[in-house]
Amino acid sequence: MGYFAKRRVIGVLLLLMASVAVVWGQLQLAPVMRQVGFLTGWALLAACVFLALYNLRKRLPFLPLGSSRTWLQLHAYVGYLSFVLFLAHTGWRWPVGWFDDVLALLFLSVALSGVFGLFWSRLIPLRLTARGGDVPYERIPIVRRQLADRAKSLALESVTATKTTTIVDFYSQHLVGFLGTSANFWRHLVESRAVLTRLQARIDDLNRFLNADQRRALAELAEIARQKDGLDYQHALQLSLRLWLFIHIPLTYSLVIFTVLHVVVVFSFSAGVPPF
Amino acid sequence: MDTIHLKIERPDRWDNAFDPQFSEWELDRVLSYAPFRDMQPDNFPKKQPLRVILQNDTRLRRFKRGEIVVRAGDYGSSAFMIIRGQVRVVLPPGLPERSLGRKSAGKKSVFHAIAQLWSNRHTPEVRTPEEIRGGDVVGEGTEARVFLQDVPRVLDQNKTVTIGAGEFFGEIAALSRMPRTATIFADSDDTELLEIRWQGLRDLLRSDPALRTHIDAIYRKNTLSNALRAFPLFRHLSDEQLEKVKAQTQFGTFGDYEWSGDYKKLAKAGTHSPEKETAIAQEGDYPDGVYLIRSGFARLSRKFGTGQRTLNYIGAGRWFGLREILHNARNPSANIPYQFSLRVIGYTHTLFIPTKVMEEIVLPGAPADALPRALTEDELDHDDDDPLTEEGGSALRIGPELMEFLTAGRYFNGTASMVIDLQRCTRCDDCVRACASTHDNNPRFLRHGPSSDGIQVAQACMHCVDPVCMIGCPTGAIHRDASGGNVVINQSTCIGCTSCATNCPYEAIRMVEARDEGGAFVTDQELKPILKATKCDLCIEQYGGPACERACPHDALKRINLNRLDALANWLKR
Repeated sequence: MGYFAKRRVIGVLLLLMASVAVVWGQLQLAPVMRQVGFLTGWALLAACVFLALYNLRKRLPFLPLGSSRTWLQLHAYVGYLSFVLFLAHTGWRWPVGWFDDVLALLFLSVALSGVFGLFWSRLIPLRLTARGGDVPYERIPIVRRQLADRAKSLALESVTATKTTTIVDFYSQHLVGFLGTSANFWRHLVESRAVLTRLQARIDDLNRFLNADQRRALAELAEIARQKDGLDYQHALQLSLRLWLFIHIPLTYSLVIFTVLHVVVVFSFSAGVPPF
Repeated sequence: MDTIHLKIERPDRWDNAFDPQFSEWELDRVLSYAPFRDMQPDNFPKKQPLRVILQNDTRLRRFKRGEIVVRAGDYGSSAFMIIRGQVRVVLPPGLPERSLGRKSAGKKSVFHAIAQLWSNRHTPEVRTPEEIRGGDVVGEGTEARVFLQDVPRVLDQNKTVTIGAGEFFGEIAALSRMPRTATIFADSDDTELLEIRWQGLRDLLRSDPALRTHIDAIYRKNTLSNALRAFPLFRHLSDEQLEKVKAQTQFGTFGDYEWSGDYKKLAKAGTHSPEKETAIAQEGDYPDGVYLIRSGFARLSRKFGTGQRTLNYIGAGRWFGLREILHNARNPSANIPYQFSLRVIGYTHTLFIPTKVMEEIVLPGAPADALPRALTEDELDHDDDDPLTEEGGSALRIGPELMEFLTAGRYFNGTASMVIDLQRCTRCDDCVRACASTHDNNPRFLRHGPSSDGIQVAQACMHCVDPVCMIGCPTGAIHRDASGGNVVINQSTCIGCTSCATNCPYEAIRMVEARDEGGAFVTDQELKPILKATKCDLCIEQYGGPACERACPHDALKRINLNRLDALANWLKR
């Protein structure tokens, strides 16, 4: 068994054991403890604080606080466990009242965005690598600009070289917009090649009317379009890997604020209620 | 903020002489000793006259009895010539670590580590005044001096060899960028040594052939026994037998010692291929001896189609041809030729032991655990799917495409290469941010580089076995850290000549424009920016090791010693 498989088996086993312990503990304590919700609530809060600490660890790379990979594993499994704690804390039913509704929704959003993020983090690198042509995200605008400049030069040169505007017309009509900015975000996410296929069909169609020199220029433009499409693919997928964090982390901060308010509210209205 | 604030004299190679106090009188004295007195000043180029080299790249040092001059395992950038007195070389197994007074590399204090949270500068590439103007020098003498305790007992318990006035030592480690192989200490109270920075030694060797001959002869006399004993195969031999082997041993030097330039040209032109490399031994030829790799690297390949398929690369301490000779010794009626070809990659120094010597002296009585396993029928069938290596099939586990990629790119040179599994890397750049945080907000690598089979070797310093970046450094600013062997840059002595960045075949060194502490660019009097070389230092001052590796959440980045394939194969199949 490889390292990853072994790690997953151990993680899942520990998670199952902890989950069973939470459910069993709740069932055992419910008859004898009046406010078992306090216990699950504090446990859930502790889990959430631990989950939020991962972001802090990332900001302190110069301290020996353990590797990020270990933190991510713990983050994932404690995240799953916190969902079980959440269910135990809410008594396996949807809470009552708008404040608790918002709190529950925030928790579920953070949890779901986390699960999605983990899944996406495993899926997208495979797709990026399979397609090839890796470009660092920050360099994408530079490469795009270079491609656009090259295409523009080719189109303009074709006018002087062939004394016709066929190529430059095609460039203006179909390529300027496409090359000028990152395009087709959603299509690339769902692995659709419709835009490139359509563009290629137009190029093939135009090819019939061109002489050898013009064909050469058009072939170069077609190659640039293919490279730009690959660049858009890189942009879309790499951006998606960044965007989900922009959902997960702000939601986490909102959750933390609502949780603190929740604790204050609970203790404000529970004065004098004995736990047992 | 000013754009241009500080104007300084452009730094030069000899701004920081090895010994700023080195007097004319001392220089004349050095020039009166052999081999310097026999050198012809006219042989030296006008820009690097003998006198100026000696004045700037050497210094005189005095040692007391028992004082350690060099320690086994340390990386040094200088060689020594004995002027007066004598020194003792401790032969293997050598002295215990505790008696060598080793200290670990200086780490930041806990407070300084935490303080990086707020003290990192917002302006890139800021240098202190000392780092801009230059200050300290590098070399063996910058460390605290260490004395051996109870020298008579050391002499009792260890084998030592004495070497005296006129002899050189430490030149192999200094020139080949390898660790010192033995500890050497002064044997008399008035021992005086001339320490020569490797840059100076290189220039002396270039201009004076007599010095090269002199040093080669010393190597033959003093070091060959140790070099052979380093191979388990020769450890069972008596001194008399070893002398016989030494007498028959041939030295081989293949390729170009300063290989980086040629390699970069070939790689750029896309004309690099194994067939064009010099063959040390050819598949199908009679196995007339065993090649032991002394330093450098060689490619193990086999015919495939009309070309050569790389099966493995082998470096210092490995051998070639032994299995064939062993097979022939055991099966006199079914002799086989070399099963593979051995080709030089960059440069390779070899020791060649003829088959007759192996059969008559070395193999009889050789312990079984020092011998390789016999060639199997399958291996002899030349089935290309066979592992064909003595490493438990690491090369096979890695696969032929990646193997070819690693060899063609010469990544085997790296002891801490940044390898990224692109199928797990989310391109989040946590590694880059962590690197920047630990280097005053300046990332020291690019998460970019050539890739094959989903594996990328990023443009980060690999801390090479053979750091060719050091070849051209005129001041020794780029050097090996004495305790760990990491290749680091002394910002004070870096003159921004770009030699290291040009030499590095892996594009891992970047030249940056230095700023002063006010954030303004520093220029020379012609308003040209002052450059400094920067690169990964493996977080040598930080706790916990390389921040990039620790920062990767997805197990996608690893610093791996590609010199041995086992670690990579295990990581790939994790």
